[in-house]
Amino acid sequence: MQRFLDPNVLAGISSLDLLAKTVVDGFVAGLHRSPDFGFSQEFAEYRAYVPGDDLRHVDWNLFARTERCYLKRYRGETNTQVTVLLDASNSMQYTSGPPTKMDYARFIAASLFYLAIHNQRDAAGLIVFDEDVREYIRPSTRPGQLARLFAGLERAEPRATTDLAKPLRHFQNLLHRRGIVILISDFYEEPEKIVRAIAPLRFRGNEIVLLHILDPQEIRPELRGSALLVDLETDRRIEVIPEYARTTYRAKIDTHIEELRSRAQGAGMDYQLLVTSEPLDRALRGYLSLRQAGN
Amino acid sequence: MGFLAPWFLGGLAALAVPVFVHLLRRHKATPRPVSSLMFFERGTQSSTRHRRLRYLVLFALRCALLLLVVLAFANPYIRKATPDANFRLLLIVLDHSFSMRAGTRFADAKQQALALLAGKPHGQKTQIISLGGQFEMRTAAITDDAQLRAALENIQPGDGHANFGELGQAMRSLTETEDGPIELHLFSDMQRTAMPSNLAEAVLPNNVELMLHPVADGPARANWTVESVEAPATLSDPKDPKHSRVQAVIAGFGTPAATKTVSLLVNGKTIATRKIEVPASGRATVEFRPLDVGYGFNRCEVRVEGEDAFPADDTSVFAVRRSDPERVLFVHAAEDTRSALYFGSALSAATQGSFAVQSVAAEQATDLAPSKYAFVVLSDTVTLPGIFEHTLGQYVANGGRVLIALGTAAGHHRQIPLWGGDVKDTHDYAREGGTATVGLVDFGYPALDQAQPGADNGGWADVRVFYAAVPEQGQARVAARLSDGTPLLLDKQVGEGHIMLLASGLENLTNDLPLHPIFVVFVDRMARYLSGDERLSGSKVVDSFVQLRGAAEPAGVAANVEVIDPDGRRPLSLSEARTMQSFRLGRSGFYQIRFANGRDAVIGVNPDRRESNLEPLTKDVQDLWSGSSGSRGTQPAGAARVPVKARPVSLWWYVMMLALVVASAETALASDHLGTQREEA
Repeated sequence: MQRFLDPNVLAGISSLDLLAKTVVDGFVAGLHRSPDFGFSQEFAEYRAYVPGDDLRHVDWNLFARTERCYLKRYRGETNTQVTVLLDASNSMQYTSGPPTKMDYARFIAASLFYLAIHNQRDAAGLIVFDEDVREYIRPSTRPGQLARLFAGLERAEPRATTDLAKPLRHFQNLLHRRGIVILISDFYEEPEKIVRAIAPLRFRGNEIVLLHILDPQEIRPELRGSALLVDLETDRRIEVIPEYARTTYRAKIDTHIEELRSRAQGAGMDYQLLVTSEPLDRALRGYLSLRQAGN
Repeated sequence: MGFLAPWFLGGLAALAVPVFVHLLRRHKATPRPVSSLMFFERGTQSSTRHRRLRYLVLFALRCALLLLVVLAFANPYIRKATPDANFRLLLIVLDHSFSMRAGTRFADAKQQALALLAGKPHGQKTQIISLGGQFEMRTAAITDDAQLRAALENIQPGDGHANFGELGQAMRSLTETEDGPIELHLFSDMQRTAMPSNLAEAVLPNNVELMLHPVADGPARANWTVESVEAPATLSDPKDPKHSRVQAVIAGFGTPAATKTVSLLVNGKTIATRKIEVPASGRATVEFRPLDVGYGFNRCEVRVEGEDAFPADDTSVFAVRRSDPERVLFVHAAEDTRSALYFGSALSAATQGSFAVQSVAAEQATDLAPSKYAFVVLSDTVTLPGIFEHTLGQYVANGGRVLIALGTAAGHHRQIPLWGGDVKDTHDYAREGGTATVGLVDFGYPALDQAQPGADNGGWADVRVFYAAVPEQGQARVAARLSDGTPLLLDKQVGEGHIMLLASGLENLTNDLPLHPIFVVFVDRMARYLSGDERLSGSKVVDSFVQLRGAAEPAGVAANVEVIDPDGRRPLSLSEARTMQSFRLGRSGFYQIRFANGRDAVIGVNPDRRESNLEPLTKDVQDLWSGSSGSRGTQPAGAARVPVKARPVSLWWYVMMLALVVASAETALASDHLGTQREEA
């Protein structure tokens, strides 16, 4: 089943619906445990009664046996809200081989939507942005929501440049309810600015997951000779020699990734680096781990 | 600068390859999209420039490598101004003759020669030669300046006589093997007496360029010297007023008339002093008599007292040996009384009483022992007592020497005792109506020795021979012949001794030799030769030779000789003392010699008195001499001229070595660059 998570294989699937179903089913099959959890009241713990506690939650059976008053606590059974913020700037169309970073982001987003709506009964929404918010689909569990989300992903073609600070205000207005916010981007911005821009969402009680999408060539670029590099967003051109790409660039990108991870974790966010050549299960596992944590 | 194979320069077209690879191809950089240039900014451009520089260095190295390889094949050369391989040979001739001891002449000459040597171009072949007594090559023609300088500094002032004629002769010999141009620098006092009377002897070959460096300090200065000393080498009776005397000639060169004090020293003690008037630049004779010396060898010296320009030549040394007269056995026929008279008189006159003749008739010689005599004379004695003849034969075989004179009796008996041959014929010139004269005379024969025989055949031309025998010659050496070719004087070695045979008599019946002055000279030389005293002369000139042993010594007999020089050292090694035939008396002073035959001698050696005349050659003669070899005249020191020839020197080896270095650098740099690409790939 693992092959159904291989990006190269997924790139050949034109329908996001089918793609998402393939991914999630393959992923769930690989978990080796029942995916049906969290949808009924589950015992969590006993806690000593303190005045003011609701007497409805007292375990009277235990009281009858031990004459001690304990409250029986259960895991909450309320559904959460998953919102995917998808970066659709020009830099996301870079690829050294299929799929592009944008397609890989679509695969992840679609898989998350499918997993959230179909398996977890969570409300799922989508915000596509570049230097501004281009599309917003309100989180919902209504029938047809998954189709709307897939259609929104289909329309999210890369263009313009990335600017997190500007659409941030809209994020705060659009996200009224606490939930899980998954930000998918290549994060070509200073880590400090990124974290500063997203931190307000965290302050409002959201669980933030940063999915950092990078092409393998962006981490370990290969140059056979000096090359004229063209920036996909700004169209700037710089001639680069292999030795620089082999040494200085690698150091810089590694520093950038590490700083972003460090700052994100420092701000209470989860961070995942996703390389477009890797299977998608890492992204789904991150979502489920957050979902299982009680949200 | 040029190329020996310029057509290989066409290979320079290969330079287009690196030009294309580095300069043309790299402009086609393909644009490559990236997500962001966030990490390709200022640092990238700087690195690119650095990388470009490295590429340019690599490009330069590759171009240089191609260029050098092409140049190497084209074989470049430069015209280097190097001394011509056939450039002139530099000869530095330093005069170290006796006259160079005067003043600072020798030091000045050596200093000038050293300056010339220091100023000569490196690589010029040079030869150091010393002139004075012997023309000695101190070095071969070499270029090692240190060796040349050492050779020059090792030359010390000597006691010999410089002869520019020998220089010319040596140059003529040298040019027989050295046909290139020769530059000869002569550092000398240019003494007039060094020039031969015939200037042609000193003329140098055409390819020898003579440069004179005279060191004589101004005009000739006043110098007195003991020009010659006449003294007996052997003295038997000091009271004999006829022989016991010393005559010395005092000569002045460039001197005013003066009264000079002359002293005679014997064994270091002054035994007589005389004052003489020496005319201006003239000569005066002083005589010391009697010469009272003790037995044995006496080291004598005549000295001119007083200061002059050249104190080294104010003395003349000689040795006098006092001994009892040696006896000579004169055996004659009973009826012959004249020969003993003539021979005895001549011997007495010639040898100054050193020999005493004992005359006996042949019949009375039976009991005589020849070994007790200096030599034996058989005058016309064809028959000898058997015992005496046998004893005489042993005497000769053991080294004794005998003179046999054949008179008229030889014609009757035909037998010659001891000779080993008979009389083949006789010539009675008087009966034939004429006389014979002495034709060929070997003046190198010791008994006929004359250094410069006169035009009268050395005095033999007037001698008339009336009767002569013709003996069997055998292996004998003919020393003189008559005008008709008949041998007159023969010498044969028998055993270790010698037999001299005179084909005519010693009286005035068979020839008139006893009536001529040459007879005394002949008897004197003959007596010294037969007695072995010809090697024991009391005075000799520097650079003369002394015969240490007989010319034909028997095989297996290697008697040592011993020579002690004036400094008391033994100049001969053991092997030389065992084998050397003659010895050169190279220094002034007394030599003590023990000959191979056991005789001792003390010889006083004096410098050639021509060295005492310090007068230099006139400027005209110097110009004439140097002009005879190319008209270069005199030159200051340190002016060696060397023709310089531009010779092509190939640079192929250096270019290839440089190409190898460049190839190594290119390999290192390119592998570094390519290594990066492999890692990325």
